[in-house]
Amino acid sequence: MQPIVRLSGIGKTYGAGETAVSALVDAELDVFPGEVLLIEGPSGSGKTTLLSILGLLLRPSAGTMSVHGRDVGKMRESELAAIRASVFGFVFQGFNLFPALTALENVSYPMRLKGTSVKSPEAEARRLLELVGLGERMKHLPADLSGGQKQRVAIARALGGDPPVILGDEPTAALDSKTALAVMELLGSLAKQHGRAVVVVTHDPRLERYADRVVRVEDGRVLAPERPSQRTSLAGHERHAA
Amino acid sequence: MWSFARKILMHDKVKFAVAAAGVSMSVMLVLVQIGLYLGFMENASNLIDHSTADVWVTGEGNENFDFAAPMDERVYYRIASTPGVDRAERVVLAFGQFRLASGGNQGVEVVGLERDAELLSPWNVVGGDVRRIHEVDGIAVDRSELPKLGLDGADGGASPGLGARNEITGFRSRIVAMTSGIRSFTTSPFVFTNLETARAYTRTRDDRITYVLVRRAPGTSVDALVARLDRIPGVEAHARPSFSTRTRDYWSSRTGVGTGFFMTAVMGVIVGLVVVGQILYSGTLEHLKEYGTLKAMGAKAGAIVRVILYQALISALVGYVIGGGLSFLVREGVRAAALNVVLSPNLLASTAVLTAVMCSAAAILSIVKVLRLDPASVFKG
Repeated sequence: MQPIVRLSGIGKTYGAGETAVSALVDAELDVFPGEVLLIEGPSGSGKTTLLSILGLLLRPSAGTMSVHGRDVGKMRESELAAIRASVFGFVFQGFNLFPALTALENVSYPMRLKGTSVKSPEAEARRLLELVGLGERMKHLPADLSGGQKQRVAIARALGGDPPVILGDEPTAALDSKTALAVMELLGSLAKQHGRAVVVVTHDPRLERYADRVVRVEDGRVLAPERPSQRTSLAGHERHAA
Repeated sequence: MWSFARKILMHDKVKFAVAAAGVSMSVMLVLVQIGLYLGFMENASNLIDHSTADVWVTGEGNENFDFAAPMDERVYYRIASTPGVDRAERVVLAFGQFRLASGGNQGVEVVGLERDAELLSPWNVVGGDVRRIHEVDGIAVDRSELPKLGLDGADGGASPGLGARNEITGFRSRIVAMTSGIRSFTTSPFVFTNLETARAYTRTRDDRITYVLVRRAPGTSVDALVARLDRIPGVEAHARPSFSTRTRDYWSSRTGVGTGFFMTAVMGVIVGLVVVGQILYSGTLEHLKEYGTLKAMGAKAGAIVRVILYQALISALVGYVIGGGLSFLVREGVRAAALNVVLSPNLLASTAVLTAVMCSAAAILSIVKVLRLDPASVFKG
């Protein structure tokens, strides 16, 4: 199977000279359709840098990167933005919804701004909100929604324009454990039923049960991906108990 | 995208109210200040503008319309006999002292007209018979000036309005006609009368006049006639429109009145710029994360810029409507003080454009902030 995104020998260094900091070193990673890929690691390990590079939000200092087989290394910012609009959907820890807009508008307006080919962004937004289980909350403002509902709106927004990859930056960190698992369940179903790749940065080991692969980042180094079952056997029972 | 911009802008109603108030004040200051200026300028040249003369002739070197030095009346005959002149009329314009019933004096600007004048006569006559100014003591005044002349009944005037008898520079006067809206730039009330009486009121010699008004003969160009009349020694000839402009320019530039009004108008624009700019910028900062999210998701920079620009233009529209409405109220309010605020269609249209430009300029900081926003920043907490 061809990966949607391929990172090869990717490095990222912030600053220069004596103050230079290597956030990522020689990273190798492929993202395949239909999989849930978890990125774990301690704070400051380089997870967010990896996710930002994956989402074309940050240019790497070294290595090559391709999306759908196209080298994106020398593309202009406008070209990268166009790829982001069509290939990636983003979900954030803080939801980042416009407080003045209803759930429906928070999903439909970004589609207009992205210039997607969707004929009726509003109809598409309704469909997506139904998909994430918010059919009854479309006219609600974010202030009137629970944390889990806000994140569902954010997921629906990320799905606008039908991107093949969903990138989540700690999307469950601001949610209670029950809601967090429900959101992860939803993301997992998007991967399994709709063939999307879902890449999630998280500190929460309970989410591993939804993952097809887990990548650990330590001191800027991306360790070889593992199957969750391999990790579970190593980690023992404490993790499940948590 | 208009509705997107409107919802973001109006979500914080207090902030939006402050922005709208800022633009309204700015619009009102600009409209009222420039309207007042235009009103004064209209007054400065209203005798010229309401005449039907093609050419105004005055003594050489006269720069100020209201304080022009008199010239020898024989010039009139030379002008009248110049080829291309169809009609010429003499005008005396000078100052006299109107004796108030209370005992004081009020300076008045006396306009002496020929008995059969066709090229200039009082307009907007609202009472009496303007033809009677050719009676020996007949005068026409503007009703808005009655308080200054002590004839409104509140300043000791015994017989207000038409028929009131007074003295001007020691000679009897009687109001035989009343006009509306004829005011001078000098603030001294205009008093229209006949040539002889005007000379008496202003102590002007019988062989002196101030202006000669000329109507060109059919087939004669105004420019050619001006050039011909200019060759007469001791006089200057001006086509009516250029004489009007020259008179306005004199008062505007020589007295600094234009600078004063425009400085206040500019300050109004600056106030609007600062208020709207500050409100838009703080709103942008509040939504920085959301804008960053849109950028991260691949929203086109132009689309995000449009959202901010639309917010600025909505503020401009609301502020313009309120500020414009307030300006009309101010215009009615100051009418009682004999002040003329001219809110012409041109002024309203150009202020609308200015408001849109002002608010768009106020959005520049916000636009720069969003354009420079690193989309990766949305992943940094």
